[in-house]
Amino acid sequence: MSIEEQYRTRAKELLSSGEVKLVIGYTKGSTADRRRPAFVSSPEEVDRLVLDGACIANLSGYLVTEGLLSDEKRVAVYLRPEGIRAINILAAEFQLDARQVEILGFNTTGNEPSALAGSKVDDFADLIASLKDSTPDTAGEELYLKLEAMTPQERFDFWQAEFSKCIKCYACRQACPMCYCRRCIVDNNQPQWVNTSSHTLGNFEWNIVRAFHLSGRCVECGNCDRACPVNIPLRLINRKMAGEVLEAFDHFSGSSQTQEPVMASFKKDDTETFIL
Amino acid sequence: MTKILYTDKLDQCLERWRSAGLSVLGPVRKDNVTAYRPVGSAADFELTQIIPDRSIKELFFPQTEPMMHYSIKKDAIDTEECLPPVGARIIFGARPCDASGLAIDDPLFGWDYKDEYWFNRRNETVIVSIACTKADAFCMCTSLKLSPDSTKGSDVLLRALESGKGWQVEELTDRGREAFKSIAELLVEGSDSVAPTAVVAEKFDADKCAEWLKNPENFESRFWKEISVRCIGCGSCTYLCPTCHCFDIQDEGDTFTGIRRKNWDSCSFALFTMHTSGHNPRSTQSARWRQRIMHKFNYFPGKFSANSCSGCGRCTRQCPVDMGITETLQEISKLSQ
Amino acid sequence: MTETIHSAPQNIYKPAIMKIVARHDEAPGVRTMRLEFQDPAEHEQFKETFRTGMFGLYGIYGEGESTFCVASPETRKDYIECTFRQSGRVTSALASADVGDLVTFRGPYGNRFPLEEFYGKNLLFIAGGIALPPTRSVIWSCLDQREKFGKVTIVYGARTVADLVYKHELEEWQKRDDVELVLAVDPGGESPDWKHRVGFVPTVLEEAAPSPENCIAVLCGPPIMIKFTLISLKKLGFEESNVYTTLENRMKCGLGKCGRCNVGSVYVCKEGPVFTAAEVALMPAADL
Repeated sequence: MSIEEQYRTRAKELLSSGEVKLVIGYTKGSTADRRRPAFVSSPEEVDRLVLDGACIANLSGYLVTEGLLSDEKRVAVYLRPEGIRAINILAAEFQLDARQVEILGFNTTGNEPSALAGSKVDDFADLIASLKDSTPDTAGEELYLKLEAMTPQERFDFWQAEFSKCIKCYACRQACPMCYCRRCIVDNNQPQWVNTSSHTLGNFEWNIVRAFHLSGRCVECGNCDRACPVNIPLRLINRKMAGEVLEAFDHFSGSSQTQEPVMASFKKDDTETFIL
Repeated sequence: MTKILYTDKLDQCLERWRSAGLSVLGPVRKDNVTAYRPVGSAADFELTQIIPDRSIKELFFPQTEPMMHYSIKKDAIDTEECLPPVGARIIFGARPCDASGLAIDDPLFGWDYKDEYWFNRRNETVIVSIACTKADAFCMCTSLKLSPDSTKGSDVLLRALESGKGWQVEELTDRGREAFKSIAELLVEGSDSVAPTAVVAEKFDADKCAEWLKNPENFESRFWKEISVRCIGCGSCTYLCPTCHCFDIQDEGDTFTGIRRKNWDSCSFALFTMHTSGHNPRSTQSARWRQRIMHKFNYFPGKFSANSCSGCGRCTRQCPVDMGITETLQEISKLSQ
Repeated sequence: MTETIHSAPQNIYKPAIMKIVARHDEAPGVRTMRLEFQDPAEHEQFKETFRTGMFGLYGIYGEGESTFCVASPETRKDYIECTFRQSGRVTSALASADVGDLVTFRGPYGNRFPLEEFYGKNLLFIAGGIALPPTRSVIWSCLDQREKFGKVTIVYGARTVADLVYKHELEEWQKRDDVELVLAVDPGGESPDWKHRVGFVPTVLEEAAPSPENCIAVLCGPPIMIKFTLISLKKLGFEESNVYTTLENRMKCGLGKCGRCNVGSVYVCKEGPVFTAAEVALMPAADL
């Protein structure tokens, strides 16, 4: 049985038994190679769910949609390893109760998805630990290495050129499961911390602020990169920060539900005595 | 016999236009994005892409527009207005859907109060469109009663020659004729055959949809939640759309000096209609999606006699979750049967 | 990008500069300002265009702009008065501004109360809390030309005595014998020496039982009050087309261009803020 069939059957079981009220997965999109998020709430509809190599979006962000989990019922969701890490982070940051999440995990090697064993987030602890030292996302590898080889000035010029494209649509924020703030820092006007205009300074402000707010939290799913309408290679900034955090604090985001957020916790033996 | 402009004459055209005082812009690809930008030489043009990633509206309604500098003194406030740079321009290589998008927005920017930022630029710009010979699955101009060779909003329409060596020229307006006077010697009379215009199948009937949308009983239909459940409210569709025009007014600066700016905003954003009291008339993504569709296909045509959509398809092409106008209107078409 | 800066005949986004010549605290957090134009040409423009019911965008450079009605009537155009509650960034900045400070005003925008259609009729004004300001502009438009109108009744209620706005004017209206003023506070909001009614506005209205005969009602208040007051007005026999109200919505441009303030197909800044209750009934309630 293909994984697509396997998970359809599983989804049907979960919905029919009432164990979950909703299955969030993928379905065919407007063209042959597109897939779009699907929300299936009745067993009769599970045939809409597909699973193939074109299913790459990280769907975990939908779990923190306002009110979705407030009835204490469970939701099943198709997730790749990055998505599973995202559940850990959202649970650690008190945005959801991981017991309400049933995971239909899969990994895609080459162009074929394969099933991951487990259904609760804690089942995947070993898998996540094994990812710590590998590069999760090879899509931007070539450019990443190019950037690493640049001097700081060259790198700054590169990003200045990229950020001048930014149109402040905040699609990156909306697509990111970790950007769940009801009122984002750019939405505050007392004071207006970050300008909303898309001149280069305003664009730097936004993108750098976001990169910092995601440090130690980003799971490198690439949602932001794919959402960006002007093709800014956002994943590379977040990847850089993830690397820095790993090196400085040995922190791999999303390792467990109880992992403390690295930028929001303090220990007595921290080398710095203050936030600066 | 018709006027033909051969591609090898294009650089000379740019020279002539510049001597006539027109700066030249067109689709240019830079840093992985094709947008309408200033052009150096003919080699800079990117005319093979189905449609530039960013729309032409940016050249008339920029993402951020400084409106006035202010300087607060003890007993006075000094202000200096910033009006758009004066200067005639010619945009070569526009897509007909982009050009018609501009014509669609003209009555809005002129509704009782004339927005000079828009019209100063409109009045100084010649638009030379190239009819489309290719379309992709997302194009939907014909569903809006437009077409890949629509002349709406254009000053000159070019049609690609079958040989690929140039274009047939059709001057449409006085402004277009005036601009092409300066390159008259570079045009030749010819009977070269023209490449067939792209075929774009009609995907929905906007007028039938308008009837469904106008019916007050459908305003609170469950349809809106069902169709928009995957929408993440990212705003990309509104920002890339050639007819979307929502904006915000922001003051940037310090306590005493700064600039008041007009910046793009989007009805898809959660806080777009948030009142200071905390009341938000459109507090759910489905209400915001409904507003988008209603505005484009019901309210706007009710006031300005044209749908606020030119069928360019950027909304769906770019959407990270594969939403877009086409699917919604197709579903509405089914409901209105 | 270098910006070319030069003056223009009429930049629709450019505000007039106003000086605060008086300010008054109406209630906790509620302030009235009286503003005077600094530029005679701008003042002339205002005098030519302003009619009762229109609104403006009041602001401070560096903070932004906020929308309130013009609380002064078309019979008094030497100044502009506005009343607002301090609640966000702009209103807080306006609240800290002092007499002599300069603020900005863009307007007047919107539609008007069709006063000539009220000539010879009885007028019933109903307002709640901080919604008295738009009603007040109509009240003064009428009292300044008293002979043109029939009986004038004002029903005004607030949550507590402290929340009543325009307290001095309420006293003035009380004293006039050509105005019937019915004042109320919500149950529990009365002070020990409160001499007037206690009850919610719709209840107080029904007790006063004004006749709908040849009568126009002007009703302003928070949505919940409007809803119940309309029910009471219908009970008393009023037609929705004879009840006028004002709507407000989040605004930025005030000119019909920024796409923000529409309720269904109606743009509050262009086709409002004055509407009859009949017109409001046609708007989608879910968009309010």
